[in-house]
Amino acid sequence: MESIDLIREFLKNRLGAEPEKVVSGALLAELGVDSLMMLELMFEFEDRFGIKLPRDLKTPRTVGEIATLMNGLIARSKS
Amino acid sequence: MKRRRVAITGLGLVSPYGGDLADFFGRLCAGQSAVGHLQTDDAPRPLSMPFVSCTAFDPDIALGKPLAGMMDRFAQLGMAAAFDAWNDAGLPRQVGQGMRNDWGVAWGTALGGTLTYEKGYRELWQKYRERLSPLTVVLGMNNGASAHMSIQFGLGGVSMTHTVACASSAIAIGEAFRRVRSGEATVMLTGGSDVPQTYGVARAWEALRVMAPGDAESSPSACRPFSRNRNGLVLGEGGAALVLEDWAHAVARGARIHGEIIGYGTTCDHSHLVRPEAAGQIRAIELTLADAGLAASDIDYVNAHGTATPEGDPVEISALKAVFGNNANRLAVSSTKSMHGHMLGASAAIEAIITVLALRDRAIPPTAHLDALDPECSGVDHVTALRSAQPLRAALSNSFAFGGSNAVLAFRTLSQ
Repeated sequence: MESIDLIREFLKNRLGAEPEKVVSGALLAELGVDSLMMLELMFEFEDRFGIKLPRDLKTPRTVGEIATLMNGLIARSKS
Repeated sequence: MKRRRVAITGLGLVSPYGGDLADFFGRLCAGQSAVGHLQTDDAPRPLSMPFVSCTAFDPDIALGKPLAGMMDRFAQLGMAAAFDAWNDAGLPRQVGQGMRNDWGVAWGTALGGTLTYEKGYRELWQKYRERLSPLTVVLGMNNGASAHMSIQFGLGGVSMTHTVACASSAIAIGEAFRRVRSGEATVMLTGGSDVPQTYGVARAWEALRVMAPGDAESSPSACRPFSRNRNGLVLGEGGAALVLEDWAHAVARGARIHGEIIGYGTTCDHSHLVRPEAAGQIRAIELTLADAGLAASDIDYVNAHGTATPEGDPVEISALKAVFGNNANRLAVSSTKSMHGHMLGASAAIEAIITVLALRDRAIPPTAHLDALDPECSGVDHVTALRSAQPLRAALSNSFAFGGSNAVLAFRTLSQ
């Protein structure tokens, strides 16, 4: 699964966000993702991909930023 | 200190019958039981017991997905009841910043988010997962419901949660009442919610040997307070909320007033964890009457605690007889738990609503299934079928909890 698909699925399940609104430039806050929901999303990401996120992660602001971050971590874990 | 009158301007609940408040009260008046049969697929031994479930309640629809996802079921039931009461009070959900800094919430729950914690234990010990969702803490905390309510309605004053077993919401309502009466708060949202179907919790209650048995067929009449053949209580899930408001504030905004809350008293038996004692209950009732400025002869109805345990019911009746003396045999008493079960922290709130509606609509709902009165429970006027067109003036609602905590609330009709 691509990370953008996971983000779309998560936001639909948790917040009822329409998948077509979950695009690269969309602000996470405007989709209803607050700091708690971000923690939960990170938790789900770690679970699905078997990855441990570093503690000093810079908090992403947009869907694009979080997708890039996840893709980078997935790629690094595979190499 | 000048005491303010306290109006009840909002009533709301999640009805176990699935309908609205009027439907709920109508069914109680008709003696219709909401008790069903709970059958789970838990291992090693499924739950199978009489139980009251809010099966029609869909938290995603009632609250919306984002809000519902941030709550344990106890908070979902409470929040839905609170929205219902707030709408009933005709209050807008949100106003300008700082407008409600002396408005607050006092909630009651015996169990809080135990369902969430149990889910966590299952993840750890049954599924051998090493960690839990970061939302577990905010879902599980006992003040989850009250915190969400303060946020949803912009309440900047006190936000507190009372955990006093079966008297949790009686004490929450009483403490809320005092804050409005003293002038500390203009409006207090109050009530309670609980979800006792957690596997470990339900099993623990079974172990105490106080639960009425029953199968799918017999469950609706499993809870028989004051009856010679009663054999225990029936648990249920629920949420019920009231809006208490400074009388002058309510009148000034043209609010509809359902009734007036006029007294609250609370005591502790200080003798035993589970064996109730009449002396502590008598003190609570007398404190409440004194707080309300009423004589025993002013009370026309008592919504009893009446859980249908062999031990508890006769003690409550003996307390009523001690307080009401020669008038006791004319005192109308019913236990509506016969129909809505014991919702732990939601019980006193749902019974407060019933008491307010009884006064407002001049109708006393019965104790259902009371065909054979236990002689040990005799001496009061047991209501066994609806009494309508009653000239009711004031009423009490009793809540007597494990731990020996007693709390009594007094209400009166508008015409007083």
